[in-house]
Amino acid sequence: MRALGKDPDVPPTTQANRVHRALSRPSLATRLCALALAFAPGLASAATADAQKSAPASESSTVITSYGEINYNRPADPAEARIDLRRFVLGLQHRFDEKTKLVTELEVEHAVSSAGDKGEVEIEQAYIERQFGEHWAGRAGLFLVPFGLLNENHEPTAYYGVERNFVETAIIPTTWREGGVQAVFTFDPGFTLQAGVSTGFDINKWDATSIEGRASPLASIHQELQLARARDLAGFGALNWRGIPGLQLGGALFVGNAAQGQTGSAVVALWDVHARYNPGRLDLSALYARGTISNTAALNAPLAGNPTLIPEAFDGWYVQAAYRLWTQGDMALAPFARYEQFNTGRSYADLGSGAPAGLPTERVVTAGLNYYVTPEVVVKADVQRFHEDTSRNRFDLGLGWSF
Amino acid sequence: MRFGGRGRVVYTLLAPASALVAPAPALAVEYLTVGQAQAAIFPDADAFEARELSLDSAQQRALEAKLGGAVRARWPARLARRGGRLLGVLLVDEVIGKFERITFATGVDAAGAVRQVEILVYRESHGHEVRLPAWRKQFVGKTAASPLQVGEDIANISGATLSCRHVAQGVRRDLAVVEALRRAGALP
Repeated sequence: MRALGKDPDVPPTTQANRVHRALSRPSLATRLCALALAFAPGLASAATADAQKSAPASESSTVITSYGEINYNRPADPAEARIDLRRFVLGLQHRFDEKTKLVTELEVEHAVSSAGDKGEVEIEQAYIERQFGEHWAGRAGLFLVPFGLLNENHEPTAYYGVERNFVETAIIPTTWREGGVQAVFTFDPGFTLQAGVSTGFDINKWDATSIEGRASPLASIHQELQLARARDLAGFGALNWRGIPGLQLGGALFVGNAAQGQTGSAVVALWDVHARYNPGRLDLSALYARGTISNTAALNAPLAGNPTLIPEAFDGWYVQAAYRLWTQGDMALAPFARYEQFNTGRSYADLGSGAPAGLPTERVVTAGLNYYVTPEVVVKADVQRFHEDTSRNRFDLGLGWSF
Repeated sequence: MRFGGRGRVVYTLLAPASALVAPAPALAVEYLTVGQAQAAIFPDADAFEARELSLDSAQQRALEAKLGGAVRARWPARLARRGGRLLGVLLVDEVIGKFERITFATGVDAAGAVRQVEILVYRESHGHEVRLPAWRKQFVGKTAASPLQVGEDIANISGATLSCRHVAQGVRRDLAVVEALRRAGALP
């Protein structure tokens, strides 16, 4: 492999991450020459114009990508302050031909992963994508579930604040991936429909003695294609509309039985509706997500007395406003504010002696700044104020990158 | 149903479902050829002249300083004419979207303003909404003096920020090249 040379057709900020394999197929430079020749006097004319290809018929290329973030969190108790290499992700995309490519991402969380450390090594994405027609493509493998505003666009440069919002981590378990097949359709005027069949959750992983299920019910029972139980598969769909520049309106649904043949039934259903409006310097977004788990009375019966029962409903919403206040060249400063409410145990099924009380709804106000050193490098600072658990009030600093 | 309305699908072999995991080149899609792009941008033209435009090293350096990036010297172009009168010039250019190339055409009228931008080939998994006419329409009338910045005079597409930003940079580059060549007398 060799690094792609300085290519005048490629913005310099994005050239460095392109690595092309110099195989027998034509290089980008060769293809550009071919494009140039197609325009050369004597070879091109109006009569033959339609026969000319606007792009090479096929290519083989491998692209290296990366994103990561280092975060500093200082809560009310200074003894709990932490600096963490939250995640470091290396991605590899390889295009087999003009229509077929492999997309992969390897992630290391918390810097060190071993039996005695808290870090994790994960495959975040590993799928083959094939473009079948002008308006639809198929994916097979481990892919991000199309959900909400963050799950498929979760790089630190893509969101405001040092940490991802709570609704899209506690209710929608970003970064949420499943193994399966997915079709992606695009059609006028600006609709994108994604639908597929995939692995789902495994309710048998629920640990009633842990508080993990209170932090995020679905993150505690996701499978991430790690010897995933596949007796019961799930179906999902997401529809987004971007027909007006700057505006995105959409929603998503995921439904699947999480019993996996081990218990009677435990249908997990999660849905969301979301909107984002980013016409210029202003960037507004809002999202509501709600999840339910069926048959929790029976599922919780043997767990009675434990601190974390399986909720029958959980939900949350947020609104956020950001404004690109200052720009100079590639640099930009964007203050933002976000208000969110979420409840990971909105309600519980009656266990015979009355339904356990739902958890209190947490309300969080976050205000801060994203400072883009370049579009690919961001320094962030914010303060977060919690209404219920004020011990979580904190100041955050972050450094993130993505290319 | 398609964004541009002028796309063309070329099937060399109907792709079976197994093609999801079989990297056989079975299908090629071309959203728009150069010929279709020039006809779409200059429908009133009765002749197109293929011409290679060249920047000298001083022009190249000046443009690189202005744009903050590399600018190539040779620019294959098509001059659109009607009754011998120049209507404008068409440049086909490429930028990287997020990970992959976007091939697009910029049509610049005789006054130096964008007549239309067309996306010829888009290869990314996300962000194909840059092909939407409503988004591309934002470029119409922009000149080399326009900011052409996403978040300023060009609205973003959520989930396709890099594609939007880089296409806008590409159009800005094309306008600057045409303006420089006009000033140098290389274009009418």
